[in-house]
Amino acid sequence: MGFLDNLFGRKQPTSSSVAKERLLTVLVHDRVHLSPHDMDEMKREIIAVIERYVEVTNPEAIEVTLTRGEATDHLKADIPLGRSRQQ
Amino acid sequence: MAQVITITSGKGGVGKTTTTANLATSLAMQGQRVVAIDADIGLRNLDVVMGLENRIVYDLVDVVEGRCRTRQALIKDKRFPDNLFLLPAAQTRDKDAVTPDDMIALCNELRREFDFILIDSPAGIEGGFKNAIAPADHILIVTTPEMSAVRDADRIVGLVEAYEKSNPKLIINRIKARMVARGDMMDTPDVVEILAIDLIGIVPDDESIVVSTNRGEVAVLDRDSMAGKAYNNIANRLLGHDIPFLVLDEKQGLWAQLVSMFRTRR
Repeated sequence: MGFLDNLFGRKQPTSSSVAKERLLTVLVHDRVHLSPHDMDEMKREIIAVIERYVEVTNPEAIEVTLTRGEATDHLKADIPLGRSRQQ
Repeated sequence: MAQVITITSGKGGVGKTTTTANLATSLAMQGQRVVAIDADIGLRNLDVVMGLENRIVYDLVDVVEGRCRTRQALIKDKRFPDNLFLLPAAQTRDKDAVTPDDMIALCNELRREFDFILIDSPAGIEGGFKNAIAPADHILIVTTPEMSAVRDADRIVGLVEAYEKSNPKLIINRIKARMVARGDMMDTPDVVEILAIDLIGIVPDDESIVVSTNRGEVAVLDRDSMAGKAYNNIANRLLGHDIPFLVLDEKQGLWAQLVSMFRTRR
């Protein structure tokens, strides 16, 4: 019914695709044995290390995620850096 | 020499016992010599699903503890008196009464007399599960297309590997074609992709399962049951036949599609 959805402008993802996405995330965490608490802890430590070398403008914007790849799972950190020129 | 096939799932209530009863019966219909073992000690149920609950004298624990010979505990299914038997679980005893080694020894004894030994595993990942998979040559993992069931199935896949059992096969049970069509239930390819194991069967959600269980019959004996047809197909695949998967699309008119689409729009 994909084309019908488009025809009627249905934008929301289906509940089954939401379920699939949530499952993939939860399974990566299950398989790596990394609890949300440990994940937060690790994120804090990563930030602390990065900050020793570069200026991190907004620690809130840092995203550390576990994602599922083809053959392996990936730990990804996305760290926005400040862009102010050297003074 | 029999093949030992364990039916397991992780999550409870996804249809392990129904699957075991149907596959056992279907294999017997094709002339195979089959024994179904209920390994869910303390929560016996395979007997009622097969309609044999009134004929139990001895059980699995009696056999393991030597109170009877194995033969005496096997209940004959009257529909297939020569080739379908049930070894019931104990109902009230200590669930630690049986060990994985007991199960292996029992199956080795039964292998000589049967073509298929099907073991109905308890839910969970505790001792009962370990007992059920210890003697297995093949493992069938049953799930439904729901998040919690798939997550638990994933745990089981990991444990099966940890116990050095290879190549478990997946059965996706209770698929509601109408919900899949409108995007409200994960589809077969989604579940297969997530669990990354081979698919051996898809079974539609089918009210006839409840009716046949009520009567102590099994769906594979009912020619009109879609679920029964699906289980017959799985049994045939176990026998090495190449059977295409059922097409579960429910025939829906355009009007029904539109109605169901508008209903689910948020």
